[in-house]
Amino acid sequence: MSAKLWAVIRREYLERVRTKGFVIGTVLGPLIMGAMMIVPLLAMRSGSKQLRVAVLDGTGTLRTAVEDALRAARFDDRLRFDVQPGAGGDHGVREAALKKAVLEGGLDGYLELPADAVAKGTASYFGRNVSNRIDLRTMERAVSGVVVGIRLAGAGLDPGKVKDLTRELDLKTIRLSETGEREDQGAAMIFSIILLMILYVSILMWGQMVMTSVIEEKTSRVVEVMASGVSPTTLLAGKLFGVGAAGLTQFLVWSLSLFAFSMAGAGPVLGSVAMPEITPLMLVSFVLFFLLGFLFYASLYAAIGAAVNTVQEAQNLVWPVMLPYILGMVFFTVVLEAPDGALAVTLSMIPGISPLIMFLRIVVLTPPWWQIALSIALLVLAILGVLWASARVYRVGILMYGKKPTFPELVKWVRHV
Amino acid sequence: MNDNAIVLKGIRKAFAGHVAVADLSLEVPRNSVFGLLGPNGAGKTTTLRMVLDILGPDAGTIEILGKPADHAARDRIGYMPEERGLYPRMVLEEQLVFMAAIKGVPRKEAQRRLGPWLERLGLADWRKRKTNELSKGMQQKAQFVATVLHEPDVLIMDEPMTGLDPVGMDVMREVMLDLRRKGATLVLSSHQMEAVEKLCDRVALINRGEKVLDGSVAEVKARHGKNTVVLAYDGDGAFLGSLPGVAKVTDFGQYVEVRLREGTDPQPLLREAVERLRLRRFEIVEPSLHDIFVETVTGHGKEAA
Repeated sequence: MSAKLWAVIRREYLERVRTKGFVIGTVLGPLIMGAMMIVPLLAMRSGSKQLRVAVLDGTGTLRTAVEDALRAARFDDRLRFDVQPGAGGDHGVREAALKKAVLEGGLDGYLELPADAVAKGTASYFGRNVSNRIDLRTMERAVSGVVVGIRLAGAGLDPGKVKDLTRELDLKTIRLSETGEREDQGAAMIFSIILLMILYVSILMWGQMVMTSVIEEKTSRVVEVMASGVSPTTLLAGKLFGVGAAGLTQFLVWSLSLFAFSMAGAGPVLGSVAMPEITPLMLVSFVLFFLLGFLFYASLYAAIGAAVNTVQEAQNLVWPVMLPYILGMVFFTVVLEAPDGALAVTLSMIPGISPLIMFLRIVVLTPPWWQIALSIALLVLAILGVLWASARVYRVGILMYGKKPTFPELVKWVRHV
Repeated sequence: MNDNAIVLKGIRKAFAGHVAVADLSLEVPRNSVFGLLGPNGAGKTTTLRMVLDILGPDAGTIEILGKPADHAARDRIGYMPEERGLYPRMVLEEQLVFMAAIKGVPRKEAQRRLGPWLERLGLADWRKRKTNELSKGMQQKAQFVATVLHEPDVLIMDEPMTGLDPVGMDVMREVMLDLRRKGATLVLSSHQMEAVEKLCDRVALINRGEKVLDGSVAEVKARHGKNTVVLAYDGDGAFLGSLPGVAKVTDFGQYVEVRLREGTDPQPLLREAVERLRLRRFEIVEPSLHDIFVETVTGHGKEAA
């Protein structure tokens, strides 16, 4: 009996693992994940190149102060602006010259201060690239520092004092965990979303693979030969374990490369940027919630596959099953904002979506152990229930051809036998 | 030691109100070739599925090799379903070894047995090829290897000859008879009686889920008497149908088959024919299973109606 189960598991496993898609996905997965993590970080820093800018001053008084402020402006401990004098001349001539310089590439952009810049608090930046949000934010802060300073001085305050008093807050975010503290530069957010997406897609993909394989066995009629050797339960179990093991293989490769990545640090690539921290708990729950989520949905998918004749027919039945899953995903922003809130905690207990939500909570904070345990326990119970019902539908369905059963008929299949 | 490979006692199976098999009892002697015959929808496949424990009967008992049918018993059976099925993307060798494994044969052992079978059925060159690269006929043969690789005591084949060319049929027939010589029991199910009648020792005819007759082929034929005459002639034979004692005339083109009523002497027919036609052939033959079947079923149908 168990030798037969092994034979089925082995077949299912090898059939998945030997495909080109699997090999490519397993190898390219970590590379893409790595790129997805590094590229935003790199983009955030947008290289170390300073922006070459000039100031077109319409007020006639602010130029030196603004130029100095820009020269001194820093982001992430780096000077951001290379301030150039630009051509001389009266306002119109200078404006034309700066425009020309920008278009010809001599300058990255220029800042225009209108005559009423102080009173109205407006300024314009003209550049070829205006999507560099971080540099523009830095510029905005520097210029408004100058403008605010002049206004305050105009109200009779000492410019030196003003500078001290209006110093902005530099907020650093540090993630606390058992293993120590680490400065986090926004990468954790991107990282947790990426992990969540991988989990979401993988559970769907591998679950769907079980359905396709059940349908294929029906279409190729091989299922009757199989049924003459093994019981439907063994066949279903072998399929779930075999396909699950293939998914797990891919997942382990991914997690281990993530781990190696985080251990080695991406120093050589990123310089001072700290990689988001990957804790063993995160890795373990990544794999565990994949497995549990897979078993839950793959059982449902197997039942659907057994009930229909073609993949097209399956779509109508897949919908109601997948809806809660997709809806669960919609809540991820809520969970990110308040990972310990009542909504997040509740959602992380609901079996169909707990693999996603509980995992996300574990990534952004460490929930109490009892919550993790309860979530897993509920999920395991749900899996057993779904498996039980699916095995019954499967047993009847695999030898049924022709008309697709209605939902009441499916219920009858579950209750019968 | 029981003499029967398979014994069915009063088995019954209904699907959603439709009775597929009604109170069917059969005995398949060991080491025989048994024909389970009947038209499409007669309940043959359902019966076989119950023997293999793929379906459970609603009532009745099934014994295989002297023991109640269970999972262990079915490892001793090789089953070739009517709808052939192989995994399309599997390499032939892997596929067949796997099929043996789900019947309880260790991989090494299955690999060892595989060579001679592939050789014998002309599949040796295809051992490492994917199943979907094989032609239909070769897939049929591969399916057969999958059925026998675990060396079953009982072979159950649903429509064994469909899809085979004449050469393939000969190979198949030879292999089947060889298996019987080695002690196996074969159950052949078919609606094409001519294809299997020559192979069978015993037959059972079923219709609408019920057995209409069974016995050895000789018995069945003897029971229906030698009341079929084959004639070949030149001339107009239209009058044959209206002669006394003639039940039915079937024109096959090259010859005409005349069925006589029970107890009719064929001599008057011969005299009449000699007088009115240029006879090339006049032969009293046994009725074919096909005729017996049609006759029984239509008669049976009338009784039932």
